[in-house]
This record gives sequence, structure tokens and C-alpha cells, in this order.
Amino acid sequence: MVNPPDLRALQQGDETAWDAAFGWLWPTVFAVAQLKLHPFLPNEVEDMAIEALEELVSKVRSVKSVEELKPLSASIAHHRAVSLLRERFAQKRGAGKTESLDVPADDRETKHEPALEDSPLDSLAEKELAARLQKSLAELKPPQGEILSDFFLHGLRYEEIAKKRGMAVGSVGVYLKRGLEAMRRIWGRDENS
Amino acid sequence: MNMNKERFFDLAMKVIARQSTDAERADLDAMLASQPDLRAEFARLEADARVAKDALPLMDAMAATAGELPAYARGRLQTKVRQTLGRPAVEKQPDRSFAWGLRWWLGLAAATAAVMLLVLPIFHAPNAPMIQLAMLESGGTRGSATDEVALLKQTWQTTVVHSFSDAEALRVWETSPADERKQPTIKIIYDATAGEVRVLGRWKEKPLDKTFLVERDLATTLKLVKDYVAEQTKR
Repeated sequence: MVNPPDLRALQQGDETAWDAAFGWLWPTVFAVAQLKLHPFLPNEVEDMAIEALEELVSKVRSVKSVEELKPLSASIAHHRAVSLLRERFAQKRGAGKTESLDVPADDRETKHEPALEDSPLDSLAEKELAARLQKSLAELKPPQGEILSDFFLHGLRYEEIAKKRGMAVGSVGVYLKRGLEAMRRIWGRDENS
Repeated sequence: MNMNKERFFDLAMKVIARQSTDAERADLDAMLASQPDLRAEFARLEADARVAKDALPLMDAMAATAGELPAYARGRLQTKVRQTLGRPAVEKQPDRSFAWGLRWWLGLAAATAAVMLLVLPIFHAPNAPMIQLAMLESGGTRGSATDEVALLKQTWQTTVVHSFSDAEALRVWETSPADERKQPTIKIIYDATAGEVRVLGRWKEKPLDKTFLVERDLATTLKLVKDYVAEQTKR
């Protein structure tokens, strides 16, 4: 499904509209569940994605525009996955400790437990996290988001990014700086949104 | 960016992303030592990078389009929709001037319902499928196969499990059409060699075809299979 669903029909419980919405949202919730759980609890990924959609159903009446649905479903899936990991690893350790669950991409294969630091995203309420994700998508102008991903997620060097994107090596740093400044405006602790 | 700030930013990025050489690390340390105000900026950049690393994958996920909702989840989610949101409200209230007509139709509906109650058992459609169980033994110890058969029987409260030691014989059984004149049939096959449980069949014109890997233990997988079959065949 390419088009977003009809929000009013969803809020009225229209089964056909929900069928379409579930298909539209599934890739997002599944990708988030996989991102968080696959390194530690791979068998839980699909179930967690379904639970995230169930939770979205119960929150749909508080949604004001259809554009909020994807960020909200991503946010719900993220928080549910983080809670599940905390619960499982607290049980495993038996001390009820809370831990952060983000594994640096470069370490993911060698780690067997979540890393120790808390992610700044975990402390945000679902709606707040959803709003900031939505804002980030809107404000990161191409190719800022792509270059941030190349550098921080895929570990590419300046020269490799320049070659991949067909730009001067000196421009890579400029885009990185602008991208990080945008992220700081949106995600910084002094953010008022 | 002026040259000094540009150099600082690029060095900071490389150090934060663990891409720096020893010489670049030393250059950054020298800058931080000689310009203490840069330390705060370095700390801010580290925090920004952390947010970027955590948020960017979620943003990528929102753009994901690959993958389809599993068929078995659809029923569960629609149940949640009905329980949470109810059915769509009827837009229009009936006209009061037709109240007498409505009463007449209600009376007719009640009479029809009474007749149907008497007649329905004659044409009764089955409300549960017949479950047929089979197992392909892995060639392991005899005792473990016996335990697995017992587990299959216990899960579906049945006494018959077709046991095969030959994959071809199982394939013939698996693909032979069941006699569904009296009751729809669902075949559940535990393939110990492949470490999987297959569900095959049809319920109310809807085909069932799903494979469950035995990841943790057979009992857990059989429970998942049972839940799946129950979900697919409920009313």
C-alpha cells in the first residue's frame, strides 16, 4: 500500500481502513522491532511488531493527523522493545537493574547483552519521541540525513562518502555539521517542542 | 567554517566515529589542551552524535516499505480494533414515522430466528476442523520420538499420530487430499529432521500453510502452532 490510510475511518473502527493501515505500518514497526530486538531476542521481533500495532489501535483517537501514524508506531515499537529488553536482562541478572539497550552498530555482532549507557531517546514519552522523529524527517534536508547515516551508521569515511555522493571531500564535513546542528535543535535538552 | 573550526570539527568527528589515526587524535588533544572552550563543544558533539546514532535508524524504519503483515496477525489485530473502537457508528437514525414498520420487521425477524433455531442443526456447519497429526522421525533415540508423539497427542487431545520414518511416504500423506465432505481437515506435521512443524489445510475457503521452526523446544512450538490454528479457525 502506497497511500496513507483515512484517519477518520480508522478512528471509527472501519475494518477495511485498518486492514490497509496495518499493511502500511507493518514495515515500520517490524523494522524498529528488528533493530532493537534482533541482536538479543530475535524470536520476539514479529510478536513485538504486532503488539506495537495493537497499542497503536488503542491510541488512534488521540492522533490529529495521518502523518503522525508512522512516527507514533515507530515510537511505540521502540519503547516496547526497550521495555522488553530491560525486563529480560533484569530477570537474567536477577537484580532488577536497568540498562541501556543500544548496541553500537560496529559492536553488534560481538555483544551478547545491551550496552550500559541509556539512550537519550528512551527517556522521551511516546508522543514526544514521535513528534521529534517527525520533525527530524521534515528538517533534515537532503543529503544531510543520508550523510549522517553514511558516517554514523555505516561507518564510511569522508572520502568514501564524497565518492558515493559525488561531492567534494570538503563538503562532507559541511553537511555533517549542518545535519548535527539540525539534530541538536530538534533533540537538544533545551528543546521546547 | 573558518579553517581552525573546520579542522576541529573534522577531527572531532573522526575521533567520535573511531576513524581517527593516532596523529589526528594527537592533533585534537593538542587543540583541546590549548583551547579549553573547545572541550565543551566536543562534549556537545559527542552528545549530538549519540542522538544521531539512535534516531537515524528509527527514521530509516519509517521509510521502510519491505515486508508484509503475517496473515495470522490480521485476525488478532482486527479483534483488537473491534474491542477498542467498536464497529463504525450508523450514520442515520431511523425515521420515527416508520416505527410501526420497524416493529413489524422485528416481529418477522424473531419468527424467522425461531424457525432457524429448529432447522439449523440439520444443516449444521462444523465449527472446528479435524486435526490430523503426523511426524517424521529424525532417527534419534527411540525414547525421544516416543516423548514427541506423546507431546503431539497431548497438545491436540488425540490418540492418532501418523508416524513416518521415510520422508517420501510423509510427502505422499501430506499432499494427499483429505476427505472434507463431513469436516474440513488441517494437517499438522512435525518434521523432526528439519526441526519444524508444518500446518496445511483449508478453513472456510481460506488456505492455511505455515511453517514454525522448532527454536526453543517442541512444546513451545506446538503451543504456537495450536494458537495459530485456533486463531485461523475461530468462527
